[in-house]
Amino acid sequence: MSNPSRRAAIVAAAEADQIGYLENPKTDFMLGVEAISNVCKMAGISPKDIEGIANPGNANAYAEYLGIVPKWVDTTAVGGCSYQIHTAHMLAAINAGMFDIGVVVHGEAGYSRRNYPRGGGPQRGGDPLGPDAQFMTPYGVAGAPSNYSHAMTRHMYQYGTTKEDYAQIAVSTRQWAGLNPRAVMHSKETHPAGGPITVDDVLNSRLISWPLNLLDVCLVTDHGGAVIIASERVAKSFPTPPVWIAGAGEAIGHATMLEMKDFTKTSAAQSSKRAYAMANMGPEDMEMAMIYDSFTITVALTAEVLGLAKPGEGHTLFENGKAAPGGQFPINTNGGGLSFNHSGMYGMQLLVESYRQLSGTAEDGVNGLPGKQTDAKSLVVNGTGGSLSATGTLVLVADS
Amino acid sequence: MADYNKPIPVPDPFVNGPYWAGAKEGKLMLPRCTTCNHTHFYPRLLCPICGSRTIVWEQASGEGYLHTFAVQHRAFGAWGEETPFVTAYIDLKEGDRVFTVLRGVDPNQPEEIFKKIGSLCRVEFEEANDEVSIPYWRVVE
Repeated sequence: MSNPSRRAAIVAAAEADQIGYLENPKTDFMLGVEAISNVCKMAGISPKDIEGIANPGNANAYAEYLGIVPKWVDTTAVGGCSYQIHTAHMLAAINAGMFDIGVVVHGEAGYSRRNYPRGGGPQRGGDPLGPDAQFMTPYGVAGAPSNYSHAMTRHMYQYGTTKEDYAQIAVSTRQWAGLNPRAVMHSKETHPAGGPITVDDVLNSRLISWPLNLLDVCLVTDHGGAVIIASERVAKSFPTPPVWIAGAGEAIGHATMLEMKDFTKTSAAQSSKRAYAMANMGPEDMEMAMIYDSFTITVALTAEVLGLAKPGEGHTLFENGKAAPGGQFPINTNGGGLSFNHSGMYGMQLLVESYRQLSGTAEDGVNGLPGKQTDAKSLVVNGTGGSLSATGTLVLVADS
Repeated sequence: MADYNKPIPVPDPFVNGPYWAGAKEGKLMLPRCTTCNHTHFYPRLLCPICGSRTIVWEQASGEGYLHTFAVQHRAFGAWGEETPFVTAYIDLKEGDRVFTVLRGVDPNQPEEIFKKIGSLCRVEFEEANDEVSIPYWRVVE
């Protein structure tokens, strides 16, 4: 069997017309369709040229709306890492010769949803006989923050890490948001609480679920995004530069946190191992990282299982501005889910910024100001879905 | 009892029945696989360790150790009126882990609770309605 490494590339990445906190509510679908329209324009193709389509659960509606009959479909829906996993599947399918041009699309009105005429508030769906309804919901857990905080406590217990250690991650990530005009927390002009923050600001922000404070927690915003993925055969025929998919891996550790054996390690240990092996590269070859930051703790422990830091030392990557603008190992250069945009499933935001960095388009004036473009030629991007449950890891490299 | 206003699970008659029946009688019942001898939680049709369907229910010690916790300052419904409260994962003496609201600790002193990680905890039951009693765990040392 042939190794799919570098047999396909991301050739364009774009977002919806407006993202963030929209004044006029849009639906998930509208945001996704806008992103497809924008990415096709950028890549110089018609939506009719799309042969393969991937979206968490709704690929059929997108295909119908675009008036296409795709040759290949993927509706994998395992939370925020779904888009990394779609990319992995698309790489394999393209390597198998199934098609040449595909789109991974994301549309999610995490913010607008609150303003819809009906509904709103926490959705309490799911199986009434499933483990969450039987053994978690009776005890008052309220969404992701109330779960992830338990992992942070355990990480502190096992490694002696402190709330100050994690707060540095929020501070560094906010610095990147200062270079991204589309980041919700870009400045005081974009949000009353925007602009630079300090460790003390994080520690003094309101407690959500101890040890998580408000500024340890991601935003809830609107976002649409899409990437075009093309075969090696056609990747160089686009007006935009290819970014090669060198490695891809996926894994599921658990669904409910009841089944997370070690609260300090996600399945990114396995998914990254597969991605590095496919790429024939290791963590030491990575020049920057895009790491899902639903919470500061998510970044710290993920950096560790990605092999970028020793167990218990993920936060040290952020010390002394090392991961901040101008630092030696940039992390989360779009401003992250913490300060840029987090619609609920943040994996697409990671992919779009990964493409921008490695294609040299991270300072386009709209999504980036001078100082945002790094000189990285390779990166590891890791999505996390559910309650630290599923992971998708990609190793991407710039065109040489 | 009549004023229990928190979410009350619908006892699952297929797999979890003995757990909820036991709780009603003040007993912690856990599933054990007789093929591999492991106790597991949450209860399954198949043993998650070895895949066998040879599962028996046994009364457990009702004791375990505090694995990790969080203090919830934001919650919905009736729990929203009780913030801050402490949620926790307990490592069961028999093996595997349960989730609970932890009693016997002060939610306003998380650093003190932190020192209790690894401490012995014991289950107790609160009657929620005529059919369901809900297990809660308490730090006892």
